[in-house]
Amino acid sequence: MREIKRVLVADDSDTVTTVLVTALELEGYEVETAVNGLEAYEKGLTGDYDLVILDQLMPGLLGLEVIDRWREEGCQISTIMLSGVDDDRTVVGSFESGAVDFIRKPFRIPELLARVRQRVQG
Amino acid sequence: MNGMTIGVIAVAVVLIVDVVLLLGLVTMKTVNRRRAQSYKLRRAGYVATLSRRLASSAAADPIEARAAADDAFLDAVIDLRNIVTGHEIETLAGIVDGLGLARRQEARLRSRFPLGRRLRAAVSLAEIGDETTATVLIEHLSDREPEIRIQCARGLGRIQHTAAIDAILERFDVEEPWVRARFADTMVGFGAKATWPLVAYIRVNLRPRDNEGVVEAIRVLGVIGDREVGPTLSGVLRVASDPEVRIAAIEALGVVGGPLAIKPLKATFRSTDWRLRAKSATSLAQIGDPSVNSLLARGLEDANWWVRRNSAAALAALPGGADLLLDAVGSDDLFARDAAGEALADCGALAGAREREEAGLTNAEDRVLLAHMTGQVLA
Repeated sequence: MREIKRVLVADDSDTVTTVLVTALELEGYEVETAVNGLEAYEKGLTGDYDLVILDQLMPGLLGLEVIDRWREEGCQISTIMLSGVDDDRTVVGSFESGAVDFIRKPFRIPELLARVRQRVQG
Repeated sequence: MNGMTIGVIAVAVVLIVDVVLLLGLVTMKTVNRRRAQSYKLRRAGYVATLSRRLASSAAADPIEARAAADDAFLDAVIDLRNIVTGHEIETLAGIVDGLGLARRQEARLRSRFPLGRRLRAAVSLAEIGDETTATVLIEHLSDREPEIRIQCARGLGRIQHTAAIDAILERFDVEEPWVRARFADTMVGFGAKATWPLVAYIRVNLRPRDNEGVVEAIRVLGVIGDREVGPTLSGVLRVASDPEVRIAAIEALGVVGGPLAIKPLKATFRSTDWRLRAKSATSLAQIGDPSVNSLLARGLEDANWWVRRNSAAALAALPGGADLLLDAVGSDDLFARDAAGEALADCGALAGAREREEAGLTNAEDRVLLAHMTGQVLA
């Protein structure tokens, strides 16, 4: 079993990605990034990640579509959805697609890290 | 010098000028591209530094004082403010305060030119400003540049500076319509805190005509939706002669609702102005009291198409109203029949009748409705 946990951060915003990567690396995670839904989908299939933090609104593929495609490929990845849109359809749709958690933007960094810890270690 | 020589010299001069202009253009483009790249790199660096600061109190990367003069740093702070929340916002506010970012932007806003810088300062203050910047934002609500006025109002709304409500309202009467509309958005953001200043504004400024500011204020009251303003709006309907004001009051009453709103709306439904009758029908439906059904049924026979249409739509939305629409479909009045049929189609009653027809379960009302929609005459 790997010592260092691997996390994929998929978001089309440079700023969100930088914040997440910085916070996660300071916590000791190995972090990779994807800038659109298609790249996230492809990296998810091949990357052996312990967790994916996936933005809902991305160019190429939406976050929910990425999860659906992974599922169709038989790829089970623990995923936290991240979105500025928190209507019922998005939140419920995320859990129904198989996301393990949902985080609203704007977010609190310690809370996000606590959720990541829980999912990676649990 | 003969003519040919002059021609050659002229061509050479033109070519040289062209080359110089082309070189100038290429140089400018290169400089701008490098500037943009440099800005992007600096901004990314600042985001990373600030992220470390936000993620861990132990990671105390120094932020150089010169960052305060860099637009890339300001943009990084603004971006981060929109991504994080909670204690992180306080940390960012501390950094903004420590570097004197807001003061610097205030100075830029107060300068006479260039416009681009002043506008950028107003946008920045709207994003990072706090109570201490309220004074300068209020001062510039009357700036010569409309976009700066809008940004200042937005900033005051964001920091919820209640004392600015009256200052923004004072501008309602003098602003161009699009600026006034943006000011109105800001007022909506203040919520119930703006209710009574708006009421006072309406009472003081209501005139026989040219009531653009009052109309906007009434619309804002409608969007805020505070029920306490029902009597004020009813009062406006009683005393105002300007139809634009009366229409705005009718629309707002429909949103604010309550039993006290029904009486004045019934009165305006009988107005000689068709616009008031049409709006009243919609507002009565929004309140949702079926005691007005019979009155609205009379609207189906109104001389004006909009009144008939809105009355029918109102009846379709009210409990028991569909029965009156079905009665109208079977009536002798062609216009009432059309309005009622359209409303029944819109509310799904027609689709229901068709489903029952396919299942062989039609009732008498279904048959009347289906016959009307297919243009048949029932025996």
